Amino acid sequence: MALPLYERRVKHFFASLIILVTLLLFTFTLSLSIGSAMLDPVKVFKAIFLKPFGYSAEDNIDVIAMLRLSRALASLFCGASLALAGLLMQTITRNPLADPYIFGLSSTALTAVALGIILVPNLMVYKVYMIVVSFLGALAGYILTLSLSKLGGGSSLAMVLAGIAIASLFSGVSHILLYIVQQIVKTPYVYLLMGSVSTVLQRDLLFLALPTLLFAALIPALFKPLNAYLYGDEYAKQLGFNPTLVRDSAAFIAALLTAITIAFVGIVGFIGLAAPHIARFLVGSDHRFAAPIVALVGALLTLLADIVVKLVSLFAGAVGELPLGVVTAVIGAPFLAYLIVKKVRE
Amino acid sequence: MKIVIEDLEVWYSSIPALRDISLEVSEGEMTFVIGPNGAGKSTLLKTIAYIVKPKAGAIYIDGKSISRFSPRDLGKIVAYVDPQISKTIPSTVLEFLLTARYPHQATLGFSIQRHDLEIVEKISRQMNIAHLLNRRLDELSSGELQRVLIARALAQKPGVLLLDEPSAFLDLRYRLEILDYVKTSTEMNKITCIVAIHDLYLASLYADKIIMMNNGEIVAAGRPEEVLKKELLEKVYRVKIHLLNINGKNIVIPLEPIERIGLWV
Ligand SMILES: Nc1ncnc2c1ncn2[C@@H]1O[C@H](COP(=O)(O)OP(=O)(O)OP(=O)(O)O)[C@@H](O)[C@H]1O
Ligand SMILES: [Mg+2]
Repeated sequence: MALPLYERRVKHFFASLIILVTLLLFTFTLSLSIGSAMLDPVKVFKAIFLKPFGYSAEDNIDVIAMLRLSRALASLFCGASLALAGLLMQTITRNPLADPYIFGLSSTALTAVALGIILVPNLMVYKVYMIVVSFLGALAGYILTLSLSKLGGGSSLAMVLAGIAIASLFSGVSHILLYIVQQIVKTPYVYLLMGSVSTVLQRDLLFLALPTLLFAALIPALFKPLNAYLYGDEYAKQLGFNPTLVRDSAAFIAALLTAITIAFVGIVGFIGLAAPHIARFLVGSDHRFAAPIVALVGALLTLLADIVVKLVSLFAGAVGELPLGVVTAVIGAPFLAYLIVKKVRE
Repeated sequence: MKIVIEDLEVWYSSIPALRDISLEVSEGEMTFVIGPNGAGKSTLLKTIAYIVKPKAGAIYIDGKSISRFSPRDLGKIVAYVDPQISKTIPSTVLEFLLTARYPHQATLGFSIQRHDLEIVEKISRQMNIAHLLNRRLDELSSGELQRVLIARALAQKPGVLLLDEPSAFLDLRYRLEILDYVKTSTEMNKITCIVAIHDLYLASLYADKIIMMNNGEIVAAGRPEEVLKKELLEKVYRVKIHLLNINGKNIVIPLEPIERIGLWV
């Protein structure tokens, strides 16, 4: 029983991996094709992916697609980071309702960034410092939410409520601060508040991609402690893992992943909530399988949400674009409602 | 593996939990720890597993103090069956059982050895949970979960097996079957097995030695017929006792409480 079951798991994993990568390529191409000039996705695909093999595109398709490339890559890495952060947070709080946005990390990180810009207007130029500031903000949010939820009894619902309190407070504060610094930020501040990938520059992509890739490289070292941690502190301890160390290092990575997305994209909620549930549905809770899958799911969801943003702005034709976070909230909040109802029923 | 405990003292911040505990446990034997609620049975087991750190005293496994083992090496040797595990993030029985093999695997490394799966396979057959491997932990009955928890500890292939309330939630058949299995495997694999239990009947059936605790101290220790005595049991449990002798074993029959809980006070 154990052997065939495990082999089936592995098969599911590879099947999910292949399907998700295919979908991702497809969506990615689609995202590059959509814009004020609509391109033929097949030609775009050839222009982008066959270019190294000497394929030369017609009608400047490759030029236009390249212009849209940073935006698509930004949504991809933003989604992967948020999804991984969500998975880590759900594991370390052992709470299936955890998410960087719901737990307030995103709002406190944004507040820290806004505060930083007010105090040192040059901060915008020094991306690394901006990431550090954002990271400290995210970490503070995590600690605040956890302490508040401990006061409230420490149940999984208390954590959500504490998170909502922290998130509301600090999204309000960051609202005010960003309003003040609008001149410095130059882009309309709503975009930071609700997230947008349209302003990410090509040279910032590396910052967005690096933590995700770094974490992916660490999965072989991290999945066993994380798996053991799922069943309790004492359980992890007797298998020889230090639960506090697991918790702290995972919180560190989750805060870093969140902070990066805040510094470059702004607040995009609910990806970190939904992606882990989808990943666990596909391949189970073993982090060895769930972590790679969750990154792909997050990337796919965010790319899709950004396509919706583009389509709405094209066809509704209003001034400017919808923020990305609005779309993910419209899709993600009902999902949270569903999870809460399921949880309360139990 | 031989366990020697010397003058152990354990506190939970300002609450004393264990005092003056000294004892020796030999391999291939089942030692049962009995005593009323809050006596310190679980604390004793957790201290041996080094989950709880003692304030004073020492525990030696084959002559080496447990504080000098690396956590990983201790994980290879000692398995403690915690009756409470967290099930809030859904995971399957197989996923849970496979974690038992972690102390024996390299820290890095992605693939699972066939050998590890075979161990889990064999033990889940013996514990009669093979049909549950693909079920979620939070969708098991209490007795099924209990068997899964014990199977996990056995899959760890420990030299020291610490069972906390293994008979809780089990039906008549599994109480006997599982303790019977643990006893056989203790003798065959020279395991040192310590069981904290409330069921004195099971203790008299399977114990090689019994340790009776009360208020964080050992009040009696020895072979079952030396510890299961009427006066001692009545004093510690505050219950009137009748002892039956069946097949040369003292079977404890609790009759009535010595003090009644008054309804109207
Ligand atoms: N985590 C803890 N923090 C503080 N005190 C504790 C903790 N765990 C146990 N205690 C206290 O230590 C004492 C011994 O507890 P322990 O759990 O070892 O008892 P036990 O013999 O296993 O009881 P039971 O039969 O109810 O399982 C009790 O007084 C208990 O209240
Ligand atoms: Mg106990």
